[in-house]
Amino acid sequence: MLEISAGVQHQGTIREHLKEQLALAVRNIQWTYAIFWSISAAQPGVLEWGGGYYNGDIKTRRTTQAIELGGGDHTDLHRSEQLRELYESLSGSKSNPQPSRRPSVALSPEDLADTEWYYLVCMSFIFNIGQCLPGQSLATGKLIWLCNAHCADSKVFSRSLLAKSASIQTVVCFQFLDGIIELGTTELVLEDPNLIRHVKTSLLKSSDLKGSEKPDPCAIDNRSKLFDRAIFDTGLISGEAEEGITSLNTGSNGLEPNQQLDDSCIIGELNGVASQLQSWQIQKDEFSYLIHQSGNSRDSISQSFLETGTSISIPNLEKSKDHWTEDLQECNNEELDRVDLRGDGLHYRTILSSILETSNQLRSRSHCECGEPESSFIGWKKGQLKCHRAKGVPQKLLKRILLEVPQLHARSMLDFSGAGCKRDGIWMALKDELSPDRNLSGSRQNEKISEQFCVLNAVVPSVKKIQVDKVSILDDTIEYVKELQRRVEELQSSRISSELLAISGGKPQESTERTSDNCGNLRTGLGKQPVAKKRKAHNYDMTDTDSNYLRDGPIDNLSVSVNDEDVLIEMRCVWREGVILEIIEALSHSSLDSHSVQSSTSDGILSVTIKSKLQRSTTTKTTAASIKQALQGVAQKC
Amino acid sequence: MENSTQESHHLRSENSVTHESPYPLYAMAVSSSPSRHHNHRIALGSFLEEYTNRVDVVSFDPDSLSIKTHPGLSFDHPYPPTKLMFHPPSSNPSKSDLLASSGDYLRLWEVRENSIESVAVLNNSKTSEFCAPLTSFDWNEIEPKRIGTCSIDTTCTIWDIEKNAVETQLIAHDKEVYDIAWGEARVFASVSADGSVRIFDLRDKEHSTIIYESPQPDTPLLRLAWNKQDLRYMATILMDSNKVVILDIRSPALPVAELERHRASVNAIAWAPHTCRHICSAGDDSQALIWELPTVAGPNGIDPMSMYSAGSEINQLQWCAAQPDWIAISFSNKMQLLKV
Repeated sequence: MLEISAGVQHQGTIREHLKEQLALAVRNIQWTYAIFWSISAAQPGVLEWGGGYYNGDIKTRRTTQAIELGGGDHTDLHRSEQLRELYESLSGSKSNPQPSRRPSVALSPEDLADTEWYYLVCMSFIFNIGQCLPGQSLATGKLIWLCNAHCADSKVFSRSLLAKSASIQTVVCFQFLDGIIELGTTELVLEDPNLIRHVKTSLLKSSDLKGSEKPDPCAIDNRSKLFDRAIFDTGLISGEAEEGITSLNTGSNGLEPNQQLDDSCIIGELNGVASQLQSWQIQKDEFSYLIHQSGNSRDSISQSFLETGTSISIPNLEKSKDHWTEDLQECNNEELDRVDLRGDGLHYRTILSSILETSNQLRSRSHCECGEPESSFIGWKKGQLKCHRAKGVPQKLLKRILLEVPQLHARSMLDFSGAGCKRDGIWMALKDELSPDRNLSGSRQNEKISEQFCVLNAVVPSVKKIQVDKVSILDDTIEYVKELQRRVEELQSSRISSELLAISGGKPQESTERTSDNCGNLRTGLGKQPVAKKRKAHNYDMTDTDSNYLRDGPIDNLSVSVNDEDVLIEMRCVWREGVILEIIEALSHSSLDSHSVQSSTSDGILSVTIKSKLQRSTTTKTTAASIKQALQGVAQKC
Repeated sequence: MENSTQESHHLRSENSVTHESPYPLYAMAVSSSPSRHHNHRIALGSFLEEYTNRVDVVSFDPDSLSIKTHPGLSFDHPYPPTKLMFHPPSSNPSKSDLLASSGDYLRLWEVRENSIESVAVLNNSKTSEFCAPLTSFDWNEIEPKRIGTCSIDTTCTIWDIEKNAVETQLIAHDKEVYDIAWGEARVFASVSADGSVRIFDLRDKEHSTIIYESPQPDTPLLRLAWNKQDLRYMATILMDSNKVVILDIRSPALPVAELERHRASVNAIAWAPHTCRHICSAGDDSQALIWELPTVAGPNGIDPMSMYSAGSEINQLQWCAAQPDWIAISFSNKMQLLKV
């Protein structure tokens, strides 16, 4: 009993001096910090923060004048104490919920440099024996010198992300007394056994009580000589870590330090850690809950960060537990990528806290509640394995719902509104109590427009009567108007040509009168049908003629039939101005008196039917052929 | 998380509940107030390009992880319903379940034990039969008598369903309005084919605030979701785009974030009903992604938190407040409930 209490007391006194020892040691070698990890009294087999000294850059000094005057030593120690106070205030928020109670000279998170943050966060870490640098060092009893700590694998050095933000490049752990001393610096220092020896001797010297408890310094020196150093470097870390820890490794290695890692021990420890995860997760649940309650204040972020900081290794460990293969590296790289470093410490903190909150929130649920089904979702991975390329129209259904379905409704509505009947099953709203400030001009206009479209639909004769599409209604209307314009043009031109005919006078005076008759015929001759009828009638008449009848063959363009003195000429030719005049002239040259002319033009083609009489006083024999010849001459003049 | 195969990104039959429907589905609504008599109800609207379409109401039992169909709980709908929504949770739970559907008109249905009855057909056109078809609507959760509808005639109509009358009608945009979402009792936002997100306040109908316009002018914005837990944030999706644009109404014009991890265009978005930072999106790449919005974004953009791969393009997504653990998605003719 006495021994134990003495031992405890002993330890206590050592602790007091420890800080000074650490301070001296670190200042001697001019490194950034020194931490003492001691075996936790509460949890055996676990290393926790036992004390530390911060010797690095300080961002904002918050001291009272008295302390400043106290001298350099005091200031530096004071900083470490301030950091410890800050940590305790942030982490101990359960007991001290009001951060404002802290004294004014106390630090707040904004005042800390990156390395200070690193130091502060380290206070929250605990390690199992065999876990990470301090744990391994304790387990193996060897010195561990980690170069490029910021690039280290998180399994080997769990705070590598932190180190990256703080630019801590070298970390050394070695056993001291009943714990581990960890030294770290922002410079890259290659392994130097002399340095370590130096540190150790300085530690031992400064401690008065060392001798009684520990083996004599010589023994320690001996041990340091015997130390097999495990050198970790960037490239080696990954390979080693995988070899040492994972059973499926793809790395190639024949590195000596490798063999010194105890595979089974570490794996076992990781499993042990994993089981501890559960309890930590539950704790974190509470904290995350608190975080949400307290809102988005910086304090809460720091708090959450600290709380989750203890498990900064957890996400990686979880992953390593489940995905032993290359996923491992991927995840780690991912996290390194995600935590993009900037100068702003707060920025880094918030990202980390949010990331950790994320992974914890969802995972905690699935871990803690065993009975319920696990999530259907899996964690996001870059470089997805299955890429379901959508073929065809993107957002097809969504577009149809928004663009086509309303048109379907509109069309069917227009249909019914045009017919003027109500659809089945639809009744108007009971009352239309509209507020006076209803802004309706737009929709009213639209209603009017739709109504006019219906009217237009009714007026325009189109092939498809059920025309509900506004666009097609307009199209048909345009076509109809064009058609009407053309017809008007035709009418006008035909009228003009017939008037010309009348004005020109011409030889057969009777023709004048007749043409005036013909004008009437012209009017009725609109369209092809009447002409066709007339022609048919003539054809019909022609069959009754006697022998002098000479009818041209089935050529449409020109037919001349002679019946005694009567000559009937039917011809078609391209219309041009004055063509009828020419025809009649030609006929008169052929000694024909035209007494009846019927003509019509359509599509620029003139169809003319002329009844004429042979002049008695004709000297030359007029045959149908000669008439034809003459007329063909006229027709061919274009 | 999962101890089973990490290879399988497909449906997990043990974690998700699937319902297969006889026809393709689009509109979907999850009931917010389960009573003692029935489990959570889900209304499914069909998508058939013909006049007769159907809306079925099924019930989901989270304990047995099963979905039951009820032959009586079904009704016809002219053309596909563009949106379905149940009455928001009210303080009066004895009120029977009301379901609203939009299409040609806004219709209200009462979902009883074994039947569905039509309660009202709301048509705001006085003079002619012609009422512009509705593209979407939203039920105001704070003031459940208010429903806002939006239509292709560029207007938004606010209905008072207790009186079955129009409360007000606004010309919201220059082109067709595609979606509408309530923020507070008197504030709503809408998106349109003219590419803008506008916020309207019923107390000041003359003015609206444009809080975002699509970068390519006239790129229609198809869907809008307002974060009910944190009213500062809204999300919208553009036509033919794989981006989910997150907007902060306090800083107009500049989106807070653009979530760009879908491999094809996004079809639906839904904010988490119980936390303020999570949003789920689903798209043509058959993936449903859950995102968490960080306080500060990294340089490479925001990665989703978790993902789910369905069998085909996911067309619809609903994350109901009554069941924050379950996300309902629909693809082709299946409806699935995914455990978050």
